[in-house]
Amino acid sequence: MSNALLRIEGVSKKYGPNTVLNDVSFDIGKGEVVGLLGDNGAGKSTLVKIMSGVVDSTVGDFFWDGKKIDRMSRDVTEKLGVETIFQDSALVPQMTITRNIFMGREMTNSFGFMKMKEMDAIAADVLDSVVTIEGIKSSKQLVSSLSGGQAQAVAIARAVHFKRSLLILDEPTSALAVRATEALLGYLTQLKGEGVSSVLVTHNLHHAFQVCDRHIVMNHGKKIMDARREDTSVEELTAAVVEGAVGLARFREGAF
Amino acid sequence: MSDNSPGHKGPILEVALPTEAIAVRRKPAGEPESFFGRLSYNMQFIRGRGPLEISIVLLVLLVGYITASLISPTGFAFLNPYNLSGVVSQSVPVLAILGLAAGILMISGEFDLSLGANITLSAIVFIQASEAAGMWVGIVAGIGTGVAVGLVNGAIVVFTKIPSFIATLGMSFFWMGAGIFINGTSPAALTTSREGTMEFLFAHDFGFFRSQLVWLIIIGIIVGFFLHRHRLGNHIYAVGGNPAAAEAISINTKKVKLMSFAIFGALVGFASILIAVRTSSIQPGGTATEDFTLFAIAAAVVGGTSLFGGRGSVIGIIVGATLIELIRNGLILAKAPGFYITLFVGVTIVLAAIFNKLMEGKAR
Repeated sequence: MSNALLRIEGVSKKYGPNTVLNDVSFDIGKGEVVGLLGDNGAGKSTLVKIMSGVVDSTVGDFFWDGKKIDRMSRDVTEKLGVETIFQDSALVPQMTITRNIFMGREMTNSFGFMKMKEMDAIAADVLDSVVTIEGIKSSKQLVSSLSGGQAQAVAIARAVHFKRSLLILDEPTSALAVRATEALLGYLTQLKGEGVSSVLVTHNLHHAFQVCDRHIVMNHGKKIMDARREDTSVEELTAAVVEGAVGLARFREGAF
Repeated sequence: MSDNSPGHKGPILEVALPTEAIAVRRKPAGEPESFFGRLSYNMQFIRGRGPLEISIVLLVLLVGYITASLISPTGFAFLNPYNLSGVVSQSVPVLAILGLAAGILMISGEFDLSLGANITLSAIVFIQASEAAGMWVGIVAGIGTGVAVGLVNGAIVVFTKIPSFIATLGMSFFWMGAGIFINGTSPAALTTSREGTMEFLFAHDFGFFRSQLVWLIIIGIIVGFFLHRHRLGNHIYAVGGNPAAAEAISINTKKVKLMSFAIFGALVGFASILIAVRTSSIQPGGTATEDFTLFAIAAAVVGGTSLFGGRGSVIGIIVGATLIELIRNGLILAKAPGFYITLFVGVTIVLAAIFNKLMEGKAR
């Protein structure tokens, strides 16, 4: 318990009469890659919004590194180092890679003017060293000239450079080609080595199964499964995601 | 609870890496060493971003004008000092400053169609305050009015989330009415206060150019450094280019948009002073200032500013404004009938927009 980076306890979220999340609890360990799975409407995206501080939970407690957090607001999550990379919308396509990497965290002199040369040099360094991205010529390139996979990689490189401690990737592979997906999943493994925890939100079980240490399956706002990779299988996860708690129970009856 | 503070425990850094440590300048791999090599290397990142292409068009046009004027100094009097100082250097700076105003707002992803009404109102306030309490009060009041109008428009757009197009279209009638409300229907005129300092500052003839051109250079440099080199300028591009990404990285998009509206208002207020001093009188509810709304947006578009936000540059917008005014000037010099002017400017705008669209994909 003490080595959990983020611990969520009894989180529920109601929109009017609708309960979107119902008493969800789990841990995210340090350097752990957690797969957050579930069909559409399972409550994944609400959970992502709560973890990144965009939306408040109705009830629930949060512990960061063992300490209670009063409220997961956007300011708090920013300070803690939570970074959410939403599919397609992490970067500004009309801006250069350098400006994207330093967006909102520009290196400036005391008058607020940006140190472009330093920023360019560091950005070039980040592109070379943090994650190896094929096919990028210069950090002065516009992001619109990159492929979807390269752009995702830049977003991840940015998070790593700024020492973010928890990366939440919302459906990162859904718009990517096969090779780009493989590269992206590779980065996640690389991140583990850097001690960064990440949550991979997806409904592609095969992608999740390749890289995640642990899988959490959501269904109709409830957590129905939380298993380490070695204790489960793609088939079991499929049953849980597609058919919910009933399907999971049936699968286990059949299996044992 | 003080021990909740996340900074003092674990591997979390509250600030970015101490990047000074890596500040040793390192050229990105593959960047050539020689001067011309670097120039052509950097050119590939400038190509397709607007200013380069439009500058070439402007250069071609200028060469044509100068040739025509040299061949026939009376038939096409472009190089005549009266034309250069009296027409070109009075009209280009005003349109360029208004283009910058509209352009900054467009980069942030918004429009303000009350620009013309804002000019009328700010100019009236400037004239009345100058006549009553002197020029300096007038300048502050004029620019202040521009900022106030911009901020009210901005607040309506940002907080109600109505598309700025329709919100400011409606507000433009309101501000037009406000001008008449303050001034009545007779023109507001500068009389004695225009003499001396005010004339020297805002409309003085230095032979081949006028004071307005000096103001354009000053404002162009300030706005350029702000937009392209300051972090707040960077945030304007981020918010206009992809609001969700800006929000995700904790940029306050509402604040940035309000700031853009305020800068817009300040530039419009300043331009209205230039207009008021040049013409000496302003007609409330008149169409002379109304026309500037679309011409300013046109200058920005011709200069490579995206209609969807996130793209545009100071040099591009100034070149765009110059191009429009030169076309206008050339048609007048060639003694074309008045309706030709709007016709040609219209075609230029549409061509520029199509060109921008084609270029958007090519930019690297």
